[in-house]
Amino acid sequence: MRGLRRFARHRLAVASAVLLALLTTAVIAAPLVESALGIDPTAIRLLDRFAPPSAEHPLGTDELGRDVLLRLLHGGRVSLAVGVAAALAAGLIGTAVGLVAGYFGGRFDALLMRVTDGFIALPLLPLLIVLAAVDLTRLGVPADVAGAEGASLLRIVVLVALFGWTTVARLVRGATLATKRRDYVRAATALGADSRRIMLAHILPNVAAPAVVATTLTVGNTILLESVLSFLGLGIQPPLPSWGNMLTGAQDLVVSAPMLAVWPGLLIFLTVIAVNLLGDGLQDALDPRAGT
Amino acid sequence: MRRTWVKGLLAGALTAAIMAAVPAAAAKDELVIGINQFPANWHPSIEAMATKAYIEGMTRRPFTVYDADWKLVCMLCTELPSVEKGTAVYETRADGSRGVAVTFTIHPDARWGDGKPVTTRDVLFTWEVGRHPQSGFSNFDLYGRDIVSIDVKDERTFTMHRDKPVCDYAAINDFRLLPEHLERPVFDADPATYRNRSVFETDPTNPGLVAGPYRMTEVASGSHVVLEPNPHWWGQKPAFRRIVVRAVENSAALEANLLAGQVDMVAGEVGLPLNQVLALEKRQGQRFRFLYKQGLIYEHIDLNLDNPVLKDLRVRKALLHAIDREAISRQLFEGRQPVAHNQTNPLDRVHAPGYPTYPFDPAAAGRLLDEAGWTDKRGGIRHNAAGERLQVEIMTTAGDRTRELLQQVMQAQWKQAGIDARIVNEPARVLFGQTLKERRFKAMALFAWISSPENIPRTTLHSSMIPTAANGWAGQNMTGFRDAEMDAVIDKLEYVCEPEPNRLLRTRLQQIYAEQLPALPLFFRSDAYVLPPWLDNLVPTGHQGFSSFWVETWRVK
Amino acid sequence: MTRFLVSRLLQAIVVLLVMSFLVTALIGLMPGDPVDLMLAGNPHATPADAARLRAVYGVDRPPVERYLHWLGGAVQGDFGYSRLFSRPVPEVIGPRLVNTGILLGAAFLLAVALALPLGVAAARRPWSLADDAVNLLCFAGISVPPFWLALLLILLFAVTLQWLPASGMAPVGGGSWVDGLRHAALPVATLAIASVGGYTRYVRSAMLVELRQDYIRTARAKGMTERRVVWRHALRNALIPVVTIMALEFGALFSGALVTETMFAWPGMGKLIYDSIMGNDYNVALVALLLATAMTLLGNLLADVAYAALDPRISFRAEPR
Repeated sequence: MRGLRRFARHRLAVASAVLLALLTTAVIAAPLVESALGIDPTAIRLLDRFAPPSAEHPLGTDELGRDVLLRLLHGGRVSLAVGVAAALAAGLIGTAVGLVAGYFGGRFDALLMRVTDGFIALPLLPLLIVLAAVDLTRLGVPADVAGAEGASLLRIVVLVALFGWTTVARLVRGATLATKRRDYVRAATALGADSRRIMLAHILPNVAAPAVVATTLTVGNTILLESVLSFLGLGIQPPLPSWGNMLTGAQDLVVSAPMLAVWPGLLIFLTVIAVNLLGDGLQDALDPRAGT
Repeated sequence: MRRTWVKGLLAGALTAAIMAAVPAAAAKDELVIGINQFPANWHPSIEAMATKAYIEGMTRRPFTVYDADWKLVCMLCTELPSVEKGTAVYETRADGSRGVAVTFTIHPDARWGDGKPVTTRDVLFTWEVGRHPQSGFSNFDLYGRDIVSIDVKDERTFTMHRDKPVCDYAAINDFRLLPEHLERPVFDADPATYRNRSVFETDPTNPGLVAGPYRMTEVASGSHVVLEPNPHWWGQKPAFRRIVVRAVENSAALEANLLAGQVDMVAGEVGLPLNQVLALEKRQGQRFRFLYKQGLIYEHIDLNLDNPVLKDLRVRKALLHAIDREAISRQLFEGRQPVAHNQTNPLDRVHAPGYPTYPFDPAAAGRLLDEAGWTDKRGGIRHNAAGERLQVEIMTTAGDRTRELLQQVMQAQWKQAGIDARIVNEPARVLFGQTLKERRFKAMALFAWISSPENIPRTTLHSSMIPTAANGWAGQNMTGFRDAEMDAVIDKLEYVCEPEPNRLLRTRLQQIYAEQLPALPLFFRSDAYVLPPWLDNLVPTGHQGFSSFWVETWRVK
Repeated sequence: MTRFLVSRLLQAIVVLLVMSFLVTALIGLMPGDPVDLMLAGNPHATPADAARLRAVYGVDRPPVERYLHWLGGAVQGDFGYSRLFSRPVPEVIGPRLVNTGILLGAAFLLAVALALPLGVAAARRPWSLADDAVNLLCFAGISVPPFWLALLLILLFAVTLQWLPASGMAPVGGGSWVDGLRHAALPVATLAIASVGGYTRYVRSAMLVELRQDYIRTARAKGMTERRVVWRHALRNALIPVVTIMALEFGALFSGALVTETMFAWPGMGKLIYDSIMGNDYNVALVALLLATAMTLLGNLLADVAYAALDPRISFRAEPR
């Protein structure tokens, strides 16, 4: 409970948690809002383009006459889902690698850590560009899957997972090394518990804190990255809305219809900042040594 | 304490200096043009690039080009060869094959930018480089096959023997003359590496490379080029002491540059998307002059005719009846981008009205689909007797905002007609480099053909031009259209040049196209120009002979 | 020390070799080859033409063979020609490297100049409102989509206020150093805003640790002014980890300037890497990506060396990490 108190002291983190909870609820409730307003978010009304906010369309309509609020909510579903899925995948891989490397040590550890170093040395963005343009069918992925509407979504999750695990792995390895030397772990080893049990039951709970913090931060980074990839035309492809592709789509009209760019930009900004502040707060709460 | 204070003052002064040095209002003898991409290289025939061609329009003149009225005109030559004048002669070669010999005379005052006259030596050299297998020219077909031989009469007159007895024998728009006196030593040293050592690349500001009103005097790679009048230019004196062409790739940033006064105009051919300019006009209609010119960029949907659903002509017609192209043109493009009903633009001399058109008519679409067996409407989507869903895939170039919007509108309209269109987009390099080239698209592909006026659509409509693995994916008949009459019409059209028979063939071609609908015609794309109010006489052309080919006629009001 | 450097150098060479092969393989997986792109607009090209062009550009050989050929040349200092720019690769990359260096160098200095006072101020009064404000500012900088920030800056300073130019590196014909500064102002600000947050937080947490150390208490007890304690003693020690992390990040920045370079039409490395990948300019993409990797490795090495040089407690005889 000390953790909770420490967290509560972190005013910004608390505010962020509240904001994120609100956003998530709103995004999940998109179908409810849809039926409440009685609008189909994909319906196109060419006579009703760039409508100003009204009772029917609280945030107005976009360049095809679609309701901006509903599209933002649906875009949020995609953006948040991509962020969370990618971060979880990266977190899982990183935790597993870090745990195994730290626990077994020796050559295995050295090898894994060299691979991690190598990954960290790679220039991220250019490689993502190459990977985002790679023809999946040449890698043996069936054309049906590679060309499906959600393929761009899956691609980003895989890309982030592929590159994002290194930070988590390093942190978890460090924590594992420290935990391994504690008495209760030694005792468990002496009593003949098998390695898997020791890792999962005794070490994992103690190294969860850095993993959780790093994973949280990855959520924010992924959402930002998706917007940058959208900017380069390699992000999530329309008609599937995401905050990133809505923002990119609106930039050409930024002078004439600025709000279309302001809303998705603001949501990305708020979400990412909230996730980062939350991660910061979690770090203070979970890891008493860092910070004050 | 005092030291900090002094530092603060210094910093403040510096900031003030930086902020205050706002550039003086652009003098009217200078024009800054914004374009959307910086050309990677400068050789006129290696790697075609629109922005390179745009700048080249100001510096180097081709022999022939289509003008703003889509008529062929002479630029580097004195007059167009013609059968009537005896300067074009159809001939039969020794082996019995037919061709045509055309005689051009180089303009008597034509000079390279270093004062050396343009001569037939340059013509012969260009042909020699172009047809060399290692020179890497992208239009090898012109130099290597189309031009069979060149006879030189004197310094200025030459006769070109062309491979086939074509009707448009006078057009050699893509024959881009190279200065022999500069390029010969480079080419002779090693033809295989010529493209990397050409003076165009090693010394792009060399005055000897130009034969036009302007020459490049500064190249800031990736940023801008500066052009100044060429003292040896033989034509009308250009109005501007200096033209700066500035590249800003991001369209929002390019617009911001325009609003900030950093560029005076945005070129229509290589500038901003139509939608963005339309929005800009609403806000800044007073500050700039806006020009829109529809042209020979034909936006359409290629239909894969091997697809069992699209094989049925009734379904193809229904697809077209179900979309309201007029409303899209009116609402989305403010009427600036006209609806296409055929692959020939109505502004083209060879356009022949009278073919069937398919206006927005949901009832007709429904009837046609019923006739085709798609009668069973379930969940708003039609099914046939076998229980199959009427589902088609539509692809386009990912990241092309206008096409993506268009696609979503059509998807919604097709849904109204009970057709389920699935959007699957790919980056341009994948779509054109592979999917379309190898006919891997399942049903529909939205993209554009760019052609020149009076084009004969052999590569897109003749059955011998269907890409297959066996022919190495040659040809552009991606739809797989096979029609014996169409083949015959196209074959004749190339050689039947008398006006009346030619017109009848053109009429028939457009009729077959509209009756068979191998593709759904959508729009003729419009170039959108944003010009300063003081710039006069810039005439958009609507084709690949860009407005910059007449830069010397641009005037300040 | 020498042994450490040699081993790191060997490691770097291995990473670069692996990287060069990886890039070759990845580019091979991209759809369409350069000749397809060149001929896409020419309806009259025949398969024979395509085959001939492939031979001219050397893309008819299998990727592994091309890679080995390239490697053979690269070892002798011949990096080949850029297909897109028709120029030797170093001649294409050189000026871009300088441009990016100017941009990143300036942004780095600006960010550090802002991060030091902000971080110190926050650390002196942890959990105060001022600390929260700094914290919020820091995260705000990190959390803005970069092209959105760039666009907002352009619209505000170039379009609305008309104080600063919207794009380019210099006016036509060069211009004075003031012109240079004016052109650099917005892109540098965009990059600096994105990195200042991270740096500030490093300074803050390092300072928090130092301010609790015994020697600080001793110094205060001796009656040293607070100003001197904080800026002379605590900061000097806090800089050790801060410099390390900054050095680590500098390499990553190198390729990350793509968005800023695109928005401000600043011809730098990020844009070049992007264009060369998209345009299938194999030689340029490979060398540019290797340079980016080398920069990151160099950053890592500098971080380690700086760490050792600044902190006498670390010696290279022990495990370097």
